[in-house]
Amino acid sequence: MQPVLSIQGISKRYGSIQALNNVSFDVPQGCVFGILGPNGSGKTTMLSIILDILQANSGNYSWFGKPGSPETRKQIGSLLETPNFYHYLSAVDNLNITKAISGRGDAADIDRVLEIVKLSARKKSKFKTYSLGMKQRLAIGAALLGNPEVLVFDEPTNGLDPVGIAEIRELIKQLSREGKTIIMASHLLDEVEKVCTHVAILKKGTLLTAGKVDEVLANEDIVEISAIDTDKLKSVLEGFSGHSHLKQDGKLFELYFPLGTARMEELNRHCFEQGVTLNQLLLKKKSLETKFFELTND
Amino acid sequence: MLSLIKIEWLKIKKYPAFWWMLGIVALTYPSINLMFLKVYEDITKGKETGAIAKMLLGNPYAFPETWHTVAFFSSFFIILPAILVIMLVTNEYNYRTHRQNIIDGWSRKDFITSKLCDVLIVTTIITLSYTIVAIGYGSYTDSKNFYRWSEQLQYIPLFFLQTFAQLSIAFLLGYLIKKAFIALGVFLFYYLILENIAVSWFKYQVKNDIGRFFPFEASDRLIPVPAFIGNFGQDMKAGYQKALDAIPMHIGLTIVITVIIWVICYKVHSKRDL
Repeated sequence: MQPVLSIQGISKRYGSIQALNNVSFDVPQGCVFGILGPNGSGKTTMLSIILDILQANSGNYSWFGKPGSPETRKQIGSLLETPNFYHYLSAVDNLNITKAISGRGDAADIDRVLEIVKLSARKKSKFKTYSLGMKQRLAIGAALLGNPEVLVFDEPTNGLDPVGIAEIRELIKQLSREGKTIIMASHLLDEVEKVCTHVAILKKGTLLTAGKVDEVLANEDIVEISAIDTDKLKSVLEGFSGHSHLKQDGKLFELYFPLGTARMEELNRHCFEQGVTLNQLLLKKKSLETKFFELTND
Repeated sequence: MLSLIKIEWLKIKKYPAFWWMLGIVALTYPSINLMFLKVYEDITKGKETGAIAKMLLGNPYAFPETWHTVAFFSSFFIILPAILVIMLVTNEYNYRTHRQNIIDGWSRKDFITSKLCDVLIVTTIITLSYTIVAIGYGSYTDSKNFYRWSEQLQYIPLFFLQTFAQLSIAFLLGYLIKKAFIALGVFLFYYLILENIAVSWFKYQVKNDIGRFFPFEASDRLIPVPAFIGNFGQDMKAGYQKALDAIPMHIGLTIVITVIIWVICYKVHSKRDL
């Protein structure tokens, strides 16, 4: 199936700073694609380039198999960096401008999206009277206008309270269930892990990894083990063959194996035969946070 | 183009500064002309001297001279719509909507064209205000001359071109500088001080007329000093006729300068990061 977005060799330089360095990846149709990276890693620069706000120094990108253009952007609901609206206009007036430019939605649809983002009661208030969270909600509402098949969200939960964050997370899941493709940049790892099916990790403008979340995270088997006699357990584990390395965190050990090679029963038997009775033995998936720090730490 | 105008109207129609500007223009244009009309009436009110003054000056506010006189005095206040034009472009930076409009589906060219529409809308409104004031004074001061209303109608397009050209300079400054107060300061400094000094320096020190190529001077010369001021004595009469004869050349010059301004805006916007 043709990817919704294909990025090939994009580089961007601001003076002496290399903001993006030869970044390439594809966003498949129907996925929730998280772009992760520390502050200044190039996430917003990447989204700005694919929305024609910034111009790449080299490389190219295509939406729906065609080079980026006003016509392709009209099919995409986007929230980039901050909510950008006319301060002296109401939510409805601002959405009317979005509607007129993008050709997405109608008057009834404006009411629908304002209901989704819970701004119906304040739809006639001027944008400048809104709180930060309300402004963010309006920007999400504008992106939803016309029910587009592709959505781009840059830090969608910025400025929202915990309830608002949970609602937006649920909304993204709901949109994903409807088959929408969502591209989302965030530095909130927990948020990405909860909603994304695919992920790309950027650091200082370089793409470290990209792919399905399960594949990115599960490149190793990690076995969590503990016993009462920590010193003895450590020496027993060091004697077990096949593991790549061993980590100790207090009384808890993590034993790393190449993907698919952890032999749990054999490990349990080995410990028991060596006189160590385990009180915890667990094969776990690496958390996105662990993977992220592993990749982004020098 | 029509869809761009409709969208710009959505932005402008609820912008308070727009209505303030319109209100101030609606007061200023009649007021400045009323001031000069009163001066004219004071000069011409004596029985004998008044009759001589009337004969020499003519009635500057009667048809058809009203088109020229009102255009000349109203053009002093280009600063009012210039503030609005600068605000309309710098607001887009301030609210970051210059980015959002592109994200939502405009091309970069559409954005500049939409701003060109703004300048055209403001110019049209200003020209309409001038036309109404000119008709008002023409009808009020000397109704007997009303039958001559269709003479000197060329001052309407000349006023339009002058206003559009000078507002385009204001737009360029707002577009490039991005900050409203700095752009306005630069506009005022250039319009009121720098260009006047430069033009005078060329005229009186270098003894040539290079000053006519400066953007404000070129468009200012589209509407020369009205006949009742410029027609005194042989030298002034000759100068007045020369100024009238030079109008076609200044039309060309003003169009060239204005086209260059908009080409710069289109070129810069097609390349720069937003």
